[in-house]
Amino acid sequence: MKDTREEGFFEEIEHTADVAIRCGGPDLKALFSNAARGMYLLMGITPAPAGPVEAITVAISAADVEGLLVDWLGELAYRAETGGLVPEQMVFRVLTRTRVEAELRGRRQHGFTRVIKAVTYHDLNVEKTHEGYAATVVFDV
Amino acid sequence: MDPTQLEKIGPYTYQISADWRPDMQAPARLLADPDILEAASGDRSLEQLVNTACLPGIVRYALAMPDVHQGYGFPIGGVAATAAPDGIISPGGVGYDINCGVRLLGTHLQTEEVRPHLDELISALYAHCPSGVGKGGAIRLQTRDLRQVLEQGARWALKRGLASESDLERTEGSGCLPEAEAGCVSERALERGRDQVGTLGAGNHFIEIDAVAEVFDARAADRMGLAPDGVVVQIHCGSRGLGHQVCSDYVKRFQKAIHTYGLRLPDRELVCAPLSSPEGREYLAAMTAAANYAFANRQVLTHGIRRSFEQALAGKVSRHSVFQVYDVAHNMARIETHRIEGQPRKLCVHRKGATRAFGPGSPDLPPIYRDIGQPVLVPGSMGTCSWVLRGTEAAMEQTFGSTCHGAGRRLSRRQARKRFKGVKLRQDLERSGIHVRAGSMAGLAEEAPKAYKDVDRVVEVVHGAGIARKVARLIPLAVIKG
Repeated sequence: MKDTREEGFFEEIEHTADVAIRCGGPDLKALFSNAARGMYLLMGITPAPAGPVEAITVAISAADVEGLLVDWLGELAYRAETGGLVPEQMVFRVLTRTRVEAELRGRRQHGFTRVIKAVTYHDLNVEKTHEGYAATVVFDV
Repeated sequence: MDPTQLEKIGPYTYQISADWRPDMQAPARLLADPDILEAASGDRSLEQLVNTACLPGIVRYALAMPDVHQGYGFPIGGVAATAAPDGIISPGGVGYDINCGVRLLGTHLQTEEVRPHLDELISALYAHCPSGVGKGGAIRLQTRDLRQVLEQGARWALKRGLASESDLERTEGSGCLPEAEAGCVSERALERGRDQVGTLGAGNHFIEIDAVAEVFDARAADRMGLAPDGVVVQIHCGSRGLGHQVCSDYVKRFQKAIHTYGLRLPDRELVCAPLSSPEGREYLAAMTAAANYAFANRQVLTHGIRRSFEQALAGKVSRHSVFQVYDVAHNMARIETHRIEGQPRKLCVHRKGATRAFGPGSPDLPPIYRDIGQPVLVPGSMGTCSWVLRGTEAAMEQTFGSTCHGAGRRLSRRQARKRFKGVKLRQDLERSGIHVRAGSMAGLAEEAPKAYKDVDRVVEVVHGAGIARKVARLIPLAVIKG
């Protein structure tokens, strides 16, 4: 499945032992939000159909943009796995190559079909493309 | 990589010389037959093996077992030893599922005694051994107890009446590795591990009831309590969310450490730190703590299996007791002593998707197995056979006492989902007499037998190369997948 949006794209790609996505967008915000959407797709997340919409703030720093993307996805996977919020809306207050602060709004997860053991650094490279930014992320499952 | 780039240096050994790429610190070796070599050349396994040979201070060579397939950082099936205490330790050489491993339990039952009760037995197992994504178990640990699990491993379960001394004796490292320090494990990892002791998880983890189909080494099989047509149980799982978090925490921390110690690597997933550095010491302590958690996890599952046998079979068969054959890790780094050029040297042996296979006479083996060599447990893919092997002197000489760990994937999970349907697969397995319980049909499809290589072929290579010897072949009767 390839999900192409005005703001970019994400799609599952082949990896023998684990799972991987290719994602991108016109800017880092699109890249980070599409990477998260791609990961939720792999996790088979079902958000709760009803219930209160919650809001949380996630703030992460890393030494470089690849590390920031790994930590961002790792934080979201942890929250989703432990029954926390699955954002329908992500508002990035700060997003540089070493810092992300985002307000996430959505409902808690209602179920999922795959555990992401980890977001890996394997072959991870946030590339500057003609369209903006793109990255391939390999997940250990 | 073109397979002709590898030089055949033995009947089952291929080598890439250390000058093949300028950043290699040692040669890279693959144990394979021509078909396995061809398959390994089809993905990035060999490139990852070469990357592993670039680890600073690697001793002798980087190795890949015949079940090699593409992973991240190390290939799955990779083995690398570094000198202790001055060499490096790499979380990527262990993997995220720290001490993922296999436990084999024996019984005094024959297949025909159990077959009429399989449905009841599998239902009891499904109830007593929680499985599936994100599932917690019956035990929710307070921090003090959780720290004890991390530092005492399966011995913690013994104190709780969930294990026997014999279980512990027949576990790698007696199920309690002394280097563990709970204080090196993060709060988040503790939180993830609080309710997962005694749970199977999902993915490729399983509990399987098997029959001993064939015995190849009567003396070793007898010592392990395995007889033709006997019923045994395999458990395949690891350290759950706690282990995943420990690895993630230290991969992150080591991203800085490589700059601190001036280490140059071809893949960031190979990040490492000197064993003698604060980062290296603390990772070893945290990784070992997670390994102890995994031993405790498989031990509590063993207790659940014993309860299931009691519930389903008491009064219906002569003896329903379950004893432990062995428990061995296949994602781990251990400080071990090996002979290098005739001299004993302390090494940090990383095995990522590879099994320890110590030969006869090793002081690290329990007395019952010391003269036959360590039992090696090699699960096949669901629906195909599994193997019990034993470690050899040749493994000590050639592979740092290591051998294969399974069949190795052939198809990606995505390809498997496209090609197989879980419901149809379950019907096919049940038609061939294998009972199946699975939490997810999509997950079942990803684990289809045809998504994996032929485990018999992998075993022929390790047997032929002499780095493990066949003891018995197992065939499945029933399987539980998370």
